[in-house]
Amino acid sequence: MRAAVVDVRGLRVELDDRPVLHGVDLRVVEGEVVTLLGANGSGKSTLVRSAVGLVPPSAGEIQLFGIPLKAFHHWWRVGYVPQRTTAAAGVPATVREVVAAGRLARRKLFRPAGTADRDAVDNAIELVGLTDQANRSVAGLSGGQQQRVLIARAAASEPDLLVLDEPNAGVDRRSQEAFARALRTFVASGRTVLLVLHEMGPLAPLVDRGVVLDSGRVVHDGPLPTPSMTLTGPPDHHDDHREDYGAGLFG
Amino acid sequence: MSFLDYDFMQRALIAAVLTGLAAPAVGTYLVQRRLALMGDGLGHVALTGVAVGLLTGWAPVWTSVAVAVLGALAIDVVRAQGRASADVALAMLFYGGIAGGVLITGLAGSTAATLNTYLFGSITTVSADDLWVVAVLAVVVIALAVGLAPQLFAVCQDEEFARVSGLPVRLYSMLIAIMAAVTVTVAMRTVGLLLVSALMVVPVATAQQLTRSFRTTFALALALGMVPSLGGVVFSYYVDVAPGASIVVASLLGFVLAWPVGTVLRRRRNAKARGGEDPRVTGAHVPTGQHPHQHDPDCGHPTVEHGDHTDYLHDGHLHAAHGRHYDEH
Repeated sequence: MRAAVVDVRGLRVELDDRPVLHGVDLRVVEGEVVTLLGANGSGKSTLVRSAVGLVPPSAGEIQLFGIPLKAFHHWWRVGYVPQRTTAAAGVPATVREVVAAGRLARRKLFRPAGTADRDAVDNAIELVGLTDQANRSVAGLSGGQQQRVLIARAAASEPDLLVLDEPNAGVDRRSQEAFARALRTFVASGRTVLLVLHEMGPLAPLVDRGVVLDSGRVVHDGPLPTPSMTLTGPPDHHDDHREDYGAGLFG
Repeated sequence: MSFLDYDFMQRALIAAVLTGLAAPAVGTYLVQRRLALMGDGLGHVALTGVAVGLLTGWAPVWTSVAVAVLGALAIDVVRAQGRASADVALAMLFYGGIAGGVLITGLAGSTAATLNTYLFGSITTVSADDLWVVAVLAVVVIALAVGLAPQLFAVCQDEEFARVSGLPVRLYSMLIAIMAAVTVTVAMRTVGLLLVSALMVVPVATAQQLTRSFRTTFALALALGMVPSLGGVVFSYYVDVAPGASIVVASLLGFVLAWPVGTVLRRRRNAKARGGEDPRVTGAHVPTGQHPHQHDPDCGHPTVEHGDHTDYLHDGHLHAAHGRHYDEH
């Protein structure tokens, strides 16, 4: 049996004294791609935010890579993509500068970035297809490109687990596909993904298991129905004959 | 140059250089965090610290550091709680700082003229002892702002991401607040407590008209803080005005000059960036369900002849019908 990467048991969370999660169990094992689905306010975002330690639980247990959250210090193993509409802040910053922030989990204080750090940042930018934009200001990019910057930032620490909170919200088609491609590369190397989605979109074929939340409770946990591919009739799916773009970036 | 012959002017100019560098160094992080007005509030709070110094006879530079740091930590705690009432709580802290300062100064028997030298700076009042304190504090602030740049950048860019990276975000957040409080005291003798915030914010706003990276914004803001500080102090030597006023007006003039240049630069950059991504080489495609139609010469998708068949340009990539599926080319 594969080891649990995320193990949440009996999780209860209250936000502003209002109960949001009522005893949720969630287990994600190595190499799995799990999607949290549910309506607005169902608690899916709170669940992943608790899992990475941003929201304190009022009861229950959370473990990452088999270590209780309080004792967990290997944060470079977790790549987190928060729910954001922009990657920009109050001062201009280039794509490379923002992505490099994702490498800090592996860097020491008062030491300049080494070759391995710079290569990881370059690879992460290449993974999301923004190499040509690396020295542009993030504020000048489209919403979808900014979302890709956030994904590259999470990938820069070369994590074993990616946690993404609605990475496709308000993102253009091309960026969604670039993202799906990056995720496929990531998963192909046996790593784990936990993501919150509003709708599946182009990611559907990658997802192993869906967990559906409703009003803070798990109402479905299992494979999601996928449209079957028929053998006759007009073309309805795609085979990829090109070079496997981006393969091996996660080595 | 005659003004350099005076000891007080030499001290004032050294203080101006240090203030002009330290204020934008901290200010860049405050602006990045969208806390541009924090320096303003700290200046108000520090006034109470100065008044305590006047009342007790201790050096105002130390009492104001102590009170401003306490104020900074209070602001940071209130901010981190994230309550809706935080806004009002901070406003009250600022009013209390100013009112308390004026009240205690009155009790100490000092005049409004004394208070004014702290509010808007005064080039004749930088003592040698003050200068040592100011120099040490300013150098520490600048060293931290440069040495911890990667960590402070991450915390100010996206606090939640920084936390999940394992950075001690609360600690860095408090460090920035303390650096800002110390800078207020450093700046008190040159630009003054009421205008110190301008020297933290305006050079950064001017710099970002011309830059697109954090690194160049930071460096340019330091230069744009130092030049008006020196100019303002020299101007105050010839014309009898408070240096705080001339420094800030000079700094704002810089912004007014940079703004139209920035507008032209941005327009040019955007024009260059347009079409930066070739629609045919996005390098990213994933099966996306049913096609609403079978590609044919009349379907409207641009066609590309490709050897023995025709490809259709489709959402940034090429489709070729092949039996039951489309091949990507």
